[in-house]
Amino acid sequence: MAEPRAGQGLEADVLSALRRPGWRYFAGLGLTALLALMLFALWGRMIWLGVGLTGKNNPVGWAMLITNFVFWVGIAHSGTLISAVLFLFRAKFRTSFNRSAEAMTVIALVVASLFPLIHLGRVWVFYFLLPYPSERLLWPNFRSPLPWDVFAINTYLIVSLVFFYVGMIPDLAIVRRHLPGLRGRIYGVLSLGWQGTSEQWRHYARLYLILAAFATPLVASVHSIVSWDFAVSIVPGWHTTIFAPYFVAGAILSGTAMVLTLTIPMRRWLGLERYVLVDHFEGIAKILLFTSLIVTYSYVVEHGLALYGHNPFEHDQYLYRAVGDYRALFAIMLVCNSLLPLTLFVRRWRRSLPWLFTLGILVNVGMWVERFVIIVASLSHDYDPYAWGTYTFSLTEAGITVGSFGLFFLLFLLFSRLLPVLSMTEVKQGLAEHREPPR
Amino acid sequence: MTRLQFESREEFLERLRALVEGGTPPHALTVQMPYEVPEVAILLREPPDRLRFFALFGAIGGFGGGLALTLYSVIGWPIVVGGKPIVSWPPFLLIGYLLTILLGSLGAFAGFLLMARLPSPSGLSEGGAFPDRFVIVVNEEAGE
Repeated sequence: MAEPRAGQGLEADVLSALRRPGWRYFAGLGLTALLALMLFALWGRMIWLGVGLTGKNNPVGWAMLITNFVFWVGIAHSGTLISAVLFLFRAKFRTSFNRSAEAMTVIALVVASLFPLIHLGRVWVFYFLLPYPSERLLWPNFRSPLPWDVFAINTYLIVSLVFFYVGMIPDLAIVRRHLPGLRGRIYGVLSLGWQGTSEQWRHYARLYLILAAFATPLVASVHSIVSWDFAVSIVPGWHTTIFAPYFVAGAILSGTAMVLTLTIPMRRWLGLERYVLVDHFEGIAKILLFTSLIVTYSYVVEHGLALYGHNPFEHDQYLYRAVGDYRALFAIMLVCNSLLPLTLFVRRWRRSLPWLFTLGILVNVGMWVERFVIIVASLSHDYDPYAWGTYTFSLTEAGITVGSFGLFFLLFLLFSRLLPVLSMTEVKQGLAEHREPPR
Repeated sequence: MTRLQFESREEFLERLRALVEGGTPPHALTVQMPYEVPEVAILLREPPDRLRFFALFGAIGGFGGGLALTLYSVIGWPIVVGGKPIVSWPPFLLIGYLLTILLGSLGAFAGFLLMARLPSPSGLSEGGAFPDRFVIVVNEEAGE
């Protein structure tokens, strides 16, 4: 493996991604743009014709769209974990991933925030959820978990965006130095005229620490709040106190898996092998394994509570998930989220990039299915047998779901060619400290 | 005005230390760095950072604002929903907590822009680019 280069060499390596890309990139961009277009076209059709285009009906009123919302918010979590939490713990391998993970967080939140709006049907009245002084003196019901979601997701999006941008300011100034003409001037304006004086660095370091400290509790709280959308209801399978940590662990698991799915090919296509090392991927694999074990433990506790809790509805709901209409999905969930990550106990598998890439995809299949099972199976089979019913998704919902992946990858592809994918100043600092002779 | 440039972090620190110990007052020195070197703030005897106060005021404002918003909204129209108390502290504290983080972060960011003097017109000019090496500018006139 080639040694990482410092100074100008590092800048040239990272910024080579900003040069004109090849046809494969444009092909990927075209394909993902088409999928994203499909999302908006289907959403437009749904606005025009109504939510009857979905498979939602009684008793399953929350289905694939809300599954997608929970899934994408979960994907966002790993970005904050890698940038903020690992920063506070001084984990050195974070510099290989933090920029991509932060971009992933912001993009996933943008995609996630579309889903409550799509699910809403009458999207033009979405502002009813915002606290504004209306002429009817109406305010959102803050005792309902839905306004908590509005505050949680928007806070998370804004704080993540600020964190992402602040981390990039010195790097944008480096890009400005390398690019001539109008492009250079645009990056200069985006860098706010950063000059790297000692005073600027001092305030910058303090700001980064403060933002990391503010963002860290969000890792735990945002998905907890999303989980309370379910847990504060009385639906069997939802009404359980374990939901918050269970959702947070699942979110970090899926987000970590997505980091692997995105960064393994990105490292190769952008030629960053000398900076993003296999050791770094091994660190991420350990986080994935650890969170998979927490998720598995949550499955055991959740089902243990249902089986031994003397609540016949909870007991019945558990059996329904395991052997009822959605049993195949339940099995996929267990295999992908609990069994396959166990391979990471073996060092050789932890360091195999093809396996980590495949596992990242499989874990995300498992996590998407987990959310689907939690949401749909619980609503399908609650208290009253007369009201039981199954859900089948419509092509509109399937198309919107596939389109959301298209939008996510489209925005990530744009990020990878428009902004520096590695934090150059942090990598430089890390290399300088690594090479510094002992004193 | 003397401009010194260094590739190496160690050489830069040694020279800066020598300048300060040789009697050059810190205000006569302008330092630019390609990445943060924490020792420089100590050498230049820079005052403690006040950014935390911006974050603190933002956070206090966010918490107070969140509680005020939720309390005002239910006291303005006291209607019982789902059998829950009019003033339901757990969800109201949740809104307060989220706004603490939001306004604390935004307060810190605003404080950073103010204290680091950004956006900087001189930094946006042709000669004001962020250097790829360590730079010390000694302003002899300011030192006299």
